[in-house]
Amino acid sequence: MDRRSFIKLTAITGTSATLASCGNPENQFIRFLPDEDIVPGVAVWKPGVCPLCAAGCGLTVRVMDADADVMRDGQWGIVRIAAAKKLEGAAGHPISQGGLCARGQAAIQVTYHPDRITQPLKRSGDRGSGQYEAISWDAAIAEIVQRLNALETAGTQRALALLSRGRTGHRAVLTDQFLSRFGARGAVTYQLFGDDVLRRANGLSFGREQLPTPDLANTRYLLSFGADFLGTWNSPVAQAGSFGHMRQGRPGIRGAFTQVESRMSQTGANADTWVPVNPGTEGVLALGLAHVIMAASLHPASAAGRAGAALDGWAGGLANSAPAEVERITGVAAARVERLAREFAETRPAVAVVAGPPLAHSNGLFTALAVNALNALVGSVEQPGGLFFTPQVNVAASSKAGGTAAASGASIEELAKGALGGDVPQVLLVDGANPVFTTPKAWRVRAALGKIPYIVSFSSFLDETSILSDLILPDHSFLEGWSEGAPESGSLSAVLSVAPAAMRPLYQTRATGDVLLEIGRQLQRPLNLPWQTFDEMLGATFAALPSATADVDAWTDAQAKGVWTGTVPGALVTGAAAAAPAAAVAYAEPVFDGDAGQFPLHFLPYPSSAFLDGSLAHLPWLQEMPDPLTSAMWSSWVEINPVTAEKLGVADGDVVEVASGQGALRSAAVLSPGIAPNVVAMPVGQGHQSFTRYASGRGENPVELIAPVTDSATGALAWAATRVKLSRVGPPDGRLILFAGGTREHLEEHR
Amino acid sequence: MARWGMAADLDRCNGCGACVVACHSENNISTVGDEQASRGRAKHWIRVERYWEGDFPDVRLKFRPVMCQQCDNAPCEPVCPTYASHHTEDGLNAQVYNRCIGTRYCANACPYNARFFDFFNPSWDKPLQLQLNPDVSLREVGVMEKCTFCVQRIRGAQLQARTEDRALRDGEIQPACVQGCAAKALVFGDLEDPESHVSRLARSPRGSKLLEDVGTQPAVTYLARATQV
Amino acid sequence: MTQPSGSKINDDLLRPLFHTSWRFFLLVAVFGGIVALGLSTWMWQARNGYGITGIKWPVYWGFYITSFVFWIGISHAGTLISAILRLVNAGWRRPVTRCAEAITGFALMIGATFPIIHLGRPWLAFWLAPYPSDRLIWPNFRSPLVWDFFAINTYLTGSLLFLFLPIIPDFAVVRDKSTGLRRKIYGALAMGWRGTPKQWHRLETAMQIMAVAIIPVAVSVHTIVSFDFSMAPVPTWNTTIFGPYFVAGAIFSGIAGLLIAMALLRKFLRLEEYLLPLHFDNLGKLLLVMALLWGYFVFNERLVTYYGNEPAHMAVFWRTQSGTFAPLYWTMVTCNFVLPLILLGIRRFRTITGCVIASIGIVIGMWLERFLIIVPALGHKYLPYSFGIYRPTPPEIIIASATFGAMCLLYVLFAKTVPIISMWELKAADHLPAKHPHSTAKEQRLGDSHA
Ligand SMILES: Nc1nc2c(c(=O)[nH]1)N[C@H]1C(S)=C(S)[C@@H](COP(=O)(O)OP(=O)(O)OC[C@H]3O[C@@H](n4cnc5c(=O)[nH]c(N)nc54)[C@H](O)[C@@H]3O)O[C@H]1N2
Ligand code: SF4
Ligand code: SF4
Ligand code: SF4
Ligand code: SF4
Ligand code: SF4
Repeated sequence: MDRRSFIKLTAITGTSATLASCGNPENQFIRFLPDEDIVPGVAVWKPGVCPLCAAGCGLTVRVMDADADVMRDGQWGIVRIAAAKKLEGAAGHPISQGGLCARGQAAIQVTYHPDRITQPLKRSGDRGSGQYEAISWDAAIAEIVQRLNALETAGTQRALALLSRGRTGHRAVLTDQFLSRFGARGAVTYQLFGDDVLRRANGLSFGREQLPTPDLANTRYLLSFGADFLGTWNSPVAQAGSFGHMRQGRPGIRGAFTQVESRMSQTGANADTWVPVNPGTEGVLALGLAHVIMAASLHPASAAGRAGAALDGWAGGLANSAPAEVERITGVAAARVERLAREFAETRPAVAVVAGPPLAHSNGLFTALAVNALNALVGSVEQPGGLFFTPQVNVAASSKAGGTAAASGASIEELAKGALGGDVPQVLLVDGANPVFTTPKAWRVRAALGKIPYIVSFSSFLDETSILSDLILPDHSFLEGWSEGAPESGSLSAVLSVAPAAMRPLYQTRATGDVLLEIGRQLQRPLNLPWQTFDEMLGATFAALPSATADVDAWTDAQAKGVWTGTVPGALVTGAAAAAPAAAVAYAEPVFDGDAGQFPLHFLPYPSSAFLDGSLAHLPWLQEMPDPLTSAMWSSWVEINPVTAEKLGVADGDVVEVASGQGALRSAAVLSPGIAPNVVAMPVGQGHQSFTRYASGRGENPVELIAPVTDSATGALAWAATRVKLSRVGPPDGRLILFAGGTREHLEEHR
Repeated sequence: MARWGMAADLDRCNGCGACVVACHSENNISTVGDEQASRGRAKHWIRVERYWEGDFPDVRLKFRPVMCQQCDNAPCEPVCPTYASHHTEDGLNAQVYNRCIGTRYCANACPYNARFFDFFNPSWDKPLQLQLNPDVSLREVGVMEKCTFCVQRIRGAQLQARTEDRALRDGEIQPACVQGCAAKALVFGDLEDPESHVSRLARSPRGSKLLEDVGTQPAVTYLARATQV
Repeated sequence: MTQPSGSKINDDLLRPLFHTSWRFFLLVAVFGGIVALGLSTWMWQARNGYGITGIKWPVYWGFYITSFVFWIGISHAGTLISAILRLVNAGWRRPVTRCAEAITGFALMIGATFPIIHLGRPWLAFWLAPYPSDRLIWPNFRSPLVWDFFAINTYLTGSLLFLFLPIIPDFAVVRDKSTGLRRKIYGALAMGWRGTPKQWHRLETAMQIMAVAIIPVAVSVHTIVSFDFSMAPVPTWNTTIFGPYFVAGAIFSGIAGLLIAMALLRKFLRLEEYLLPLHFDNLGKLLLVMALLWGYFVFNERLVTYYGNEPAHMAVFWRTQSGTFAPLYWTMVTCNFVLPLILLGIRRFRTITGCVIASIGIVIGMWLERFLIIVPALGHKYLPYSFGIYRPTPPEIIIASATFGAMCLLYVLFAKTVPIISMWELKAADHLPAKHPHSTAKEQRLGDSHA
């Protein structure tokens, strides 16, 4: 489906959704009674939680009066509402500390997006056609209840599946409870740029299966292996703040920063020393540094403890990782390995982080373990200026969820295999995930979803996955209902963000948590979930936490501030125990899909600064924000080293074809000096087929080229393990839109 | 009388672009869409310039957020035939949209290319207009617009201080880009007050002005990114 | 062949006024159509927004300002030349002055529309004018655009007056030869001219004063137009040479425009006996001098930039010299310097045809010159991140081209309503010796000295 027909379709859908009111044009002029608490022209500030990534930044929402077209009881009309006007970082929030990333700044457009789904929809055309008709909430919930009752009657409760992005916090506990009480397996979670490898490695090395919080503010030497910690990874706002402090926040002290990666990221652009390395060999470099440190007796092997023991040959000083050998494998000069090792060991405190492409290889777990061990070796774990693990509130315990947790869910790959192989889930609930867009073609997720007879989505937009659903139960936007965040990292102390609605809902939407609770009540065998509403669940958690302010309880305090932070009572701390590795892990050469002769280049898809994995491509402010490195707006591109480009006869802006064993796509070439000659990179995020008027039919989706290689230990997708070839197709054709002149001028001259 | 100024610490700025979106959000800057963007009509009152230096593997990249430098000696002012671009008492280069007839002379004269023209009447797909800030006027077709140092926030804070019968506190006024910058790379304040944070940064040995030799006397100081030895 | 007699002058020069052929209607229809197309395109632009042009960040001026400077330049042919020739009492000027002065008036009118056409909000153009308002808002007198407003208005008023005064006796001739409505109109235009010695004396005095006054005005106009550029700190704009450089360029293009007009009039109005090869030869020589002068200014401007070696200036310098704009730049040099040197410098080529070819080249070259001053510099101002390039869009091309149609239309209408050669001045000179179309240069110089 091309963009135009998509827009037409959504327009039709939108119209049919509002059919009730369209019959009578006078309804357009209905004026509803305004809220009584609005003072015209006076802004009030309310707390909020940014929903766009797992970092869970705290917001301050500026709210003022405005006339809005709203939907009430099936009728459209105008009402003076208290409307969100601007999102700011919440000053007192331990994660965001007053800042926000570009995405967070744009989050308000989620609420006011013209293509939002305004009320429950039931599919009326073929799957994927985008044709829906309006349905009432009562009828919609009755439909699901009937479907679930049928499973119950047939004794096939395990045929219910739920697909999500792997949220933390209350929503995750609620869905888990829903599934387990119903008798289904746990949620299938999937994120293209998930951090499962790193979590597993941290579990093995340190007994903490979670993302780390590097204490950048206090470190003096930061060594990062591929982590885009200032752009898209982990808790970018918190990290940008502490990085700024590391650079210029301490009189007379300026922390040094070395970045190891094969394509200069926005983060890498800030490094003092930028070290390109052969893809998939970052762990070898880490061990090389460890070797030098141990060989020079700067730190004994035993200092690394459990993290060191996880690696093969550690106790023996990593005899196989001498600088010369490291140079052979990684391409980093032996002398440089020596120097980096000494800098890292002798500058105190120092910290190493690893994330992103290094872990997206078949040997990702090894790489993460190697960097962990390096940190442990120099004593940088849970020490000022080192690596910390933010204490986690056990939300299941604090919210008194009761019942047992669901059995662990299948992976998306297994789910798809099952559905295609006859083990078809009968009902699939989709919450926030868009795997049709973000999984490799070889997993055939779209085809698998086609086999599932009944799909329900809670999405606010018709994306590639929700457009396949039979029923859409749109959630409130994060400003219209209770929002929460249970940040896994970004602060040294425990954090739970929470905020009541900043404004009344514009449309006939409902909070997904409340919808699940309602379904649970209406089933023929009610699930007896311990809460009546989602906010009751939130209230239970905060009531169990100590208040930060003397004369108010924690729940009232948190609602006013938008956040709770403090010491977690012992009984509510998430358990730290995770098994040590069964066997020591050794370096294995990374496996790449595609023959090196036929596909000479490594393909590096990376999360775009604006759209992450593509889930934010529908926000016009982000579409028009110039990319930090290329200045591109509204487009896709392929980054290629000028030397390679010259060999292939490719000039800046030329249309090129990139082909892997999985498929091929055409995009515009951007010549970039910051990429290794044997690597080509592409931002993920564009190439949507259906995702609102702003993203549909725009650019290309590099995921189409990714081979289904996985990390051998965790099964996580090794998204950087595909080889490609690149060839010139033709001259610039206008598909690449740049803001910056130097290159833009060239393109325009040659158009 | 205050003299408003900004300092941008290039050692803190990491190029994230949050300031760009923050400014769009605060100042009702309309997005122009792909077709117009490709024709050079995108409006970014603040942009993060990036410059490559060197070749692989010894390559460096530098970011520099550039907004209107609120020049003391602003070339955009004398050329404006209608005083739409003019100097305020507190040293801002003010832009009176209603007075602008769209000669675009000021934008040619601005050495920083900090001024952006409204080629069409801005529009917002309903209900995106609800995001508009009522404190900032919308610009119609044919006028020039640019960074105002978020003058609405300056005036708002001044008014607040006056009603509370007190002086403005340093740091009380935060333009949207300053407020949004997680890295705290941008600092805003009164350059007349020698004790203000921005004054102290403006005197930093790392400080310099952009295109100093053009003689514009900008109010923005850039603190150089330090180099590691 | 002898100089036409008084009655023949009347017959020849009044013929277009009293006899209307289909060709006149055809020309009016064609040129009127072009002008209507331009006007409607402009309305469309004003309605839809300036975005339909190719103007963009950061090249905010393009075809319109190029055309503005170009037409103001063309306007320098007429009045200035005519005034100088009047003051030095060059007799050969007589058949040339009026068609030259008309060019000035029309080119100014056309040029003066561009500052309005190019406005983002043209309906507010009157804010450029100082008018009393109860809010006491005046235009900014520091802005060169306001100086333009005054300079162009002064020049336009002066030029029209300078054009009008010597037509008065000819209007009277037409009045006396016509009847009905035409008689009334021309009677009004003739302002009661009876040809009394007192009236003649007053006319001569007025012309003498006007001729003296208009020269500094003309010089100042293009100097002020050059200030639009040289007052802004844009690389390669901010230079002191722009004043004289622009004035020289203006006269240069103006004479070229005049030669083209003369050749067309000569052919279409059958004025072979009035507009003689002598005139083309003399003006051709003047054009040659201007070409040399132009070459001097360009060389000067380029050399100083090159020697100064400022990075921002050099970026623009190389862009025109060997970069993107080099093809246009070298076309300009060929048109403005090489071609005139050959066609006008070598006597054998300095024929009417030679002069016209050189003039067409110069008109093209001078249009390019203005474009090359404006666009490359705006696209390369200091900060490379903000560099850009400009491409005109069809509306700009249509509007810019339509102005040539407007010039033709105005000229056709003028030639239809006013004797295109000053009849009384011609008659005043009918004691001059006979001239042959193929007379030698020596004879012509002789003729001059007798004037
Ligand atoms: N073009 C033009 N503009 C003018 C004028 C003019 O003559 N022509 N006149 C000027 C003058 S003199 C005046 S006084 C102003 C008036 O300007 P406004 O005060 O803006 O006038 P209205 O539009 O009458 O009313 C404002 C809003 O109040 C709402 N409203 C009505 N009753 C209630 C209520 O009980 N509670 C609340 N909260 N809201 C309510 C209405 O729905 C409406 O949206 O306009 C000025 N502006
Ligand atoms: S880092 Fe994530 S949570 Fe924080 S502002 Fe950005 S998108 Fe929102
Ligand atoms: S928000 Fe701050 S760190 Fe980010 S680009 Fe702007 S100035 Fe730099
Ligand atoms: S930066 Fe440009 S727009 Fe701003 S005051 Fe200076 S000259 Fe004027
Ligand atoms: S565009 Fe507007 S502000 Fe700029 S010079 Fe012209 S009238 Fe003045
Ligand atoms: S000061 Fe305000 S107007 Fe200027 S760039 Fe920053 S946010 Fe935009």
